[in-house]
Amino acid sequence: MRISVVRTGGFAGIERRGEVDTSGRPDEDEWRALALRALRPGPPCDPADPAGGVRDGFSYTVTVDGRTVSFRDPHLSDAQRALVSRVLKEGA
Amino acid sequence: MDASPTHRHPVFCTVVPPHLLDRIARSRNPRFADLAQATLERDSLLRTRRRVTTVRGLAAPAPAAPAPDRPERTVYDAQHRTRLPGRKVREEGGPVSGDVTVNRAYAGLGATYELFLTAFGRRSIDGAGLPLDATVHYGEDYNNAFWDGRQMVFGDGDGELFLDFTVSVDVIGHELAHGVTQYTANLEYHGQSGALNESVSDVFGSLIKQYALDQTADRADWLIGAGLLGPAVDRGQALRSMKAPGTAYEDDELGKDPQPATMDDYVDTVRDNGGVHINSGIPNHAFYIVASELGGKAWERAGQIWYDALTGGELATDADFRDFARVTAAAAVARYGEGGAEHQALQKAWSAVGLG
Repeated sequence: MRISVVRTGGFAGIERRGEVDTSGRPDEDEWRALALRALRPGPPCDPADPAGGVRDGFSYTVTVDGRTVSFRDPHLSDAQRALVSRVLKEGA
Repeated sequence: MDASPTHRHPVFCTVVPPHLLDRIARSRNPRFADLAQATLERDSLLRTRRRVTTVRGLAAPAPAAPAPDRPERTVYDAQHRTRLPGRKVREEGGPVSGDVTVNRAYAGLGATYELFLTAFGRRSIDGAGLPLDATVHYGEDYNNAFWDGRQMVFGDGDGELFLDFTVSVDVIGHELAHGVTQYTANLEYHGQSGALNESVSDVFGSLIKQYALDQTADRADWLIGAGLLGPAVDRGQALRSMKAPGTAYEDDELGKDPQPATMDDYVDTVRDNGGVHINSGIPNHAFYIVASELGGKAWERAGQIWYDALTGGELATDADFRDFARVTAAAAVARYGEGGAEHQALQKAWSAVGLG
């Protein structure tokens, strides 16, 4: 399983990328479970202001074996937050 | 836009600028089209409300219950989680915390409130005494600070690339200024209007630092985020430089500061909402030139002109750089007269960055 994360925006406006190929890794099953959970929708944003209110928030694009999802702070599920921080740390 | 079966709803919480929503609203898939249309209507309703609030605020300066001339601050601790606002740890007039981050945030909110009140006569973010809320210790190793539409949120940094985001008072001021923009010109957060939104926050963030240090324009560092870069960054003094955009850092870890100073180097990109943190260097530099031309305390005349432009009701939510140049020049003429030193400084500055 190939998992890539691109994080853009934020106060600094500095882009960060990470990619992890989990094939053959001892913790492959754990990665797979986390990645599949992260592909599910995160918590809903404020219905009164779905795209507008947040300024300087990070935006994330996660691709798992060709499937791509995007989300932005602070509307991330625990799995999404765990996955992006792990990929950006280990796969930078 | 992902439409895989695992998504029961399109991801409308992601960065979807209005022009994209417009396109989706015309989508042949009625489910997407309806959702996009609903989002657009909500968005435009909110904007109308804010406009009305702004205009009413100008027309009727005496509200029924006058806001007191002091802030109403509350600092929360997210305890390294991401639930907002977190545990209340310091409130207005309450005892000092044993946590320096909490106290820095509290002081930064106070410094920001004071500049807006004393320099521009504005009571808090909304001009009507809105309570100021901030959450610190957000997330783990979180390298960011943001405004979520209601409050400020600060991460601790990872301690390597970035330190605690409360260390620079201009960062605190920057986030609060996003609130002021939201309640006034409400500049759309993409493309040039988004870069103006960012620039306005840098301008007032820097002014808050200069005011707190009682600096004249020639003594100020004109940096955003000085002291924020961690030990893993070898070559960098801050995140942005208004005096010399593009020179704040050049480092193996962070790359090179991508900010342009003039329109010749304008960056066309879809990333970062269309480069809102990149092209903000151009209006940032224009402000620096105005303040340097005028000399003295930058918040007194240059800052007043920017404040007038932001709050005067003449700036459209989708204003581009040229619109902003025009509105600031008009604001300088309205307050200080045609052809005066202020008007000339504005003309010189916008011309220098390629918007004359």
